[in-house]
Amino acid sequence: MRMRSWATTAFLVMVGVALVAPVPVTAGMPTELVVADSMSGANFQTYWQKTVIPAVKQVLGVNLRYLVTSDAEQIQKTKAWRPGQGDFHILFAKSIATWVKSGVPLETLNTTNVPNSAKILPEFLKSDEGVDLQGKALLYWRTSYALIHNSQYVKNPPKSWHEFYDRRAEFKGHIGLIRPDAKSSSAWRQRLVFLHAFLKDKMTLPIEQLEKDAAFQDAWNKLKDFTKYAKAPLASEPVNLFEDFNSGDTHIALYAQDYSLWSARQGTMPPTIRATYPEEGADEIGTGYFAVPANIPPEYKEVAFKVLNYLLSDDQQIRLITTMWQYPGTEITDQVPPIAWEMVPKLDVLTKTAIPRDRIRKDMIDYIKGHAKELLP
Amino acid sequence: MTALWRKHSVHGITFFLLLPSLLCFFGLFFYPMLLTVILSFRPEGQELGWTLENYTRFLSDADGRWVILLTFILSLASTALSVLLSVPLALTLREKVRGHRLYRLMVLVPLVIPGLIGALGLLLFWGSRGWFNLFVLQFVPGVTTPLRINYTIQGLIFFYVWLYFPYTCVTTMSALESLDPGIEEAGAVAGANRWQVLRHIVLPLITPGILAGSVLTFMAAFGAFSVPLIAGGDYRPLAVEIYKQISIPIPARWSAASAIAMVMGVLQVAFLAVYMRIARRAGGNAGGVR
Repeated sequence: MRMRSWATTAFLVMVGVALVAPVPVTAGMPTELVVADSMSGANFQTYWQKTVIPAVKQVLGVNLRYLVTSDAEQIQKTKAWRPGQGDFHILFAKSIATWVKSGVPLETLNTTNVPNSAKILPEFLKSDEGVDLQGKALLYWRTSYALIHNSQYVKNPPKSWHEFYDRRAEFKGHIGLIRPDAKSSSAWRQRLVFLHAFLKDKMTLPIEQLEKDAAFQDAWNKLKDFTKYAKAPLASEPVNLFEDFNSGDTHIALYAQDYSLWSARQGTMPPTIRATYPEEGADEIGTGYFAVPANIPPEYKEVAFKVLNYLLSDDQQIRLITTMWQYPGTEITDQVPPIAWEMVPKLDVLTKTAIPRDRIRKDMIDYIKGHAKELLP
Repeated sequence: MTALWRKHSVHGITFFLLLPSLLCFFGLFFYPMLLTVILSFRPEGQELGWTLENYTRFLSDADGRWVILLTFILSLASTALSVLLSVPLALTLREKVRGHRLYRLMVLVPLVIPGLIGALGLLLFWGSRGWFNLFVLQFVPGVTTPLRINYTIQGLIFFYVWLYFPYTCVTTMSALESLDPGIEEAGAVAGANRWQVLRHIVLPLITPGILAGSVLTFMAAFGAFSVPLIAGGDYRPLAVEIYKQISIPIPARWSAASAIAMVMGVLQVAFLAVYMRIARRAGGNAGGVR
């Protein structure tokens, strides 16, 4: 009798485990991969840990170990790959360009090993940062800075930088600017985008020539003048900008769309935060890529491909915009719930207004940093 | 011969026992300091050559001198206010009032909270829509606009006091508790009232403790980084200035940063020497009273 009850219990337990346990990728395949992320901030790290990793585990039965790391470290580690050092990577455009240029061994990714990559526009697979990607990377998401504004105070946000400059008195004391000598890239990005709006094609001129140009001097003076209308003191770092939004002191600022809107949802920014794009552009289009080292064991590769394919699936890509306010890497804009467009502009607005990458110039960034003192009110 | 061998062996053992601390001293303090000193005299971005330019540029610049002055203002003001806050608090807690253990624990809170988190919390609390201003706007008659505390020099001093006063408070409390109650009783028996006992007996006796704590507060405030970085607004003392040199320009200006760090170190040591001299005198006077 006791024997029979044991057997019944064991059977029920086995059935239960079989029903509850996720379906493994394939017998004998690794069930744990390390994803190395050298790109993400707090928002994406949380998203991966709370949303993506559990979803991958549930759907594919693969445990993802999430490793936050630095780009330089990963280049060295990937060249001499060992288990636990990153079976696939999430990288910024600049990083993937460096990896490819410096000959880091990466697997070629295509529609054969990652079928969902067919939904990515070929131009994003071909090159980025002026570097031929040689099929070594898959686009994961796109994003941009935007004019972040608190819709509680700003009912009619400026449609262009020219309009914003003309209406500066209306926003006096409420324009959010990060100190030009801050560590955050927004310190120079806010100024560079402003200058670009007034210089446009002239931004391609050599800096020595540009500096002497009357249009540049006019734009620079406008920038100095615009700074006087900012909330004082200028925010030391983004955390202060956010606090200024929370306190109601700042109503409008150029900042990362995804991080700002995500923060609003997390309760660290006012819930009435919205994003808009000025017609002369708010930023370059930021891109995030996946890459798989070529020197990982074949069975790891196969699982990595499956995971990437899942991350490029429509379900996961739509979540990028509805959860993270980042644009999908795949072309599925028509599937995005319309409510998302009440928060952020459509992708075609972004692509039309984006500033070409060659105008986000290092020498101009250095010029802004070098003249930071002039840009303090 | 045996005695000589024994003497050598004792020296050897002493050296062997001292070796870990010597290695730590050279590896963790002397070597990095030496590198900083050397770097501060190197022309920017070069591995050879010597120059005083990094020092002269910083010290001859009006902004550089303002940064030094600001650092002193912030440290001295916060130290003085910490003492003013600590002494009455320590005297109150000494009386073992109801819940004194909880109060003692609360005094230590700023020490265990990382400076950055503390600064963020203070910014939120004192902000235009923080609890303080919400309270003031709601309940204080005549106040119609939020009081501006964040990003002002007064606000920054206040933040420093909150973060660093535990050093002064703890040493003052410790000095008070080690005081023999018999001395105060003797004063009272001799006819001194409570104020006279406090003024002529207690305060002189705890002065060395207060000064020791104030030195710690001053040093912490002088080297403060995360609080002024986040909560300082336009007020950016020496530690932030050093950080700026290495985090903003590309390539980083290591020589300039090292020179400012050396200026900061020298000022700190010089001020400490003067302060300790005064403290010793004050301690001596206290001894005289005793």
